[in-house]
Amino acid sequence: MKLDVRGEVCPYPMLKAVEAMKKLKGHEEVVVITDHAPCLETIPPQAPRFGYSYSVEQTGSPEWTIRLVPLGGER
Amino acid sequence: MPAALTAPLGGALRGVPRQYVAAMAVLVAAVALAVPMARQEGILAALWALGLAAGFTLQRSRFCFASAFRDLFLFGSARIMKAILLGLGVATTGFAAIMHAAVPFPGFGALPPEAHVLPVGISTVLGGLLFGYGMVLSGGCVSGSLYRAAEGYVASWVSLAGVVVGLGFISQTWNWWWATLVSGEPKIWLPATAGLGYAGALALTFAALLVAFVFLIWWEARAGVFALPVAAATRPLTSFRDQLAHMWHAVFMHGWPAAVGGAVLGGIVVVMYTVHMPWGVTGELTRLANASMTSFGAAPPAALGLSDIGGCAARAGETGLFSHTFSVTVGILPGALVGALFAREFKLRFPRSAVRYAQSLGGGVLMGAGSGLAIGCTIGAFFSAIPSLSISGWLFGAALAGGAYLGVQTIRRIP
Repeated sequence: MKLDVRGEVCPYPMLKAVEAMKKLKGHEEVVVITDHAPCLETIPPQAPRFGYSYSVEQTGSPEWTIRLVPLGGER
Repeated sequence: MPAALTAPLGGALRGVPRQYVAAMAVLVAAVALAVPMARQEGILAALWALGLAAGFTLQRSRFCFASAFRDLFLFGSARIMKAILLGLGVATTGFAAIMHAAVPFPGFGALPPEAHVLPVGISTVLGGLLFGYGMVLSGGCVSGSLYRAAEGYVASWVSLAGVVVGLGFISQTWNWWWATLVSGEPKIWLPATAGLGYAGALALTFAALLVAFVFLIWWEARAGVFALPVAAATRPLTSFRDQLAHMWHAVFMHGWPAAVGGAVLGGIVVVMYTVHMPWGVTGELTRLANASMTSFGAAPPAALGLSDIGGCAARAGETGLFSHTFSVTVGILPGALVGALFAREFKLRFPRSAVRYAQSLGGGVLMGAGSGLAIGCTIGAFFSAIPSLSISGWLFGAALAGGAYLGVQTIRRIP
């Protein structure tokens, strides 16, 4: 599932990422695209709470792709 | 940065990212502006430099008082609030030394000059609730909106316009608030209270900060908040060049840890107070509101009682373009812009939904009204008030938390 939250500021990108992880329950990865740097510190800590791991890649200036990957497949 | 400006500089700048060139240009312009300031009054330039440093620090550490309060309730996260407590500890130590030099014997009724010892009462609570609610609704407090405005967040410009409107409303109605509420409220300065003295006031303040800190750790543990593992360097930094590059990245590219931001801001407010006064940003915006209303023929009435109260709004009477409040408030903008450009984080960002603009404007107006009533915002009435050993800072902080809690209930319902 792809979440393009460019233009949104805190707390909406995190709220939407959390909502997506809750809905998908670890069955699908969530890809968050953001231009709001504070998300890099707010979204990753939420990942383990919902059984996800994360990786962050800078894909622009300023733009980042945060990949939330389910831990150990089906839960 | 327009190509026209970089082109004449020729090959020397080839390969240098445009945002770096722009950052240097902003820095040079900001330093150049210090020259007329220094001619007018030396202190103006010193405060301007501190304003720039504060803006740079806010941007680099993404320091956000709104999220510090909001995330306590939204996610149970206290990452930034813990950093604020650290900054308060640093500032309290410095403020105590400065105040002690000015008023060595606190029992005789004199308050230290410029200390942010503000009235304690309904106006503090009402102001804190309005401000706390407004900052959550708009997504940033006044200082937060200032540095985000410089980073290119258009919604923050709208928030600031709202703040000026709210402050203007209080300017027009101030004498009613003064007669009804504020004039009857005491200013409680801990060193002069119950025989505490400086030692007792400091012990009490540090004990309260410690209790708050431990409470926040419990709060986070209860909510199951995870601390991020610290990433280790992928390879050892051996050469001088590696080390330099590493330092450059740590300072100018990566965001600073919140705790570093808190401690540095704590140090900056101490130096500001050494130069003249603790940090505050609503005084300058009140000046802007009053000047705008005056130019439209709707000058606010002379404010009763404010000259006897320290803090932000009380300084709104300064005239001329450059003032002490101008330096420490407007200085945030170029400081934050330089930080954003070096990190390549500057970008004009427009919210996609109209609802966000309404949130920014409404939240801004509420913040303006709240900071007008409380005579300061998260900076002047909180971050500079607790280190002034004033009870008002604690009460305002508690009211901010209450307002933020209510704000969280609202934004959960706004998609």
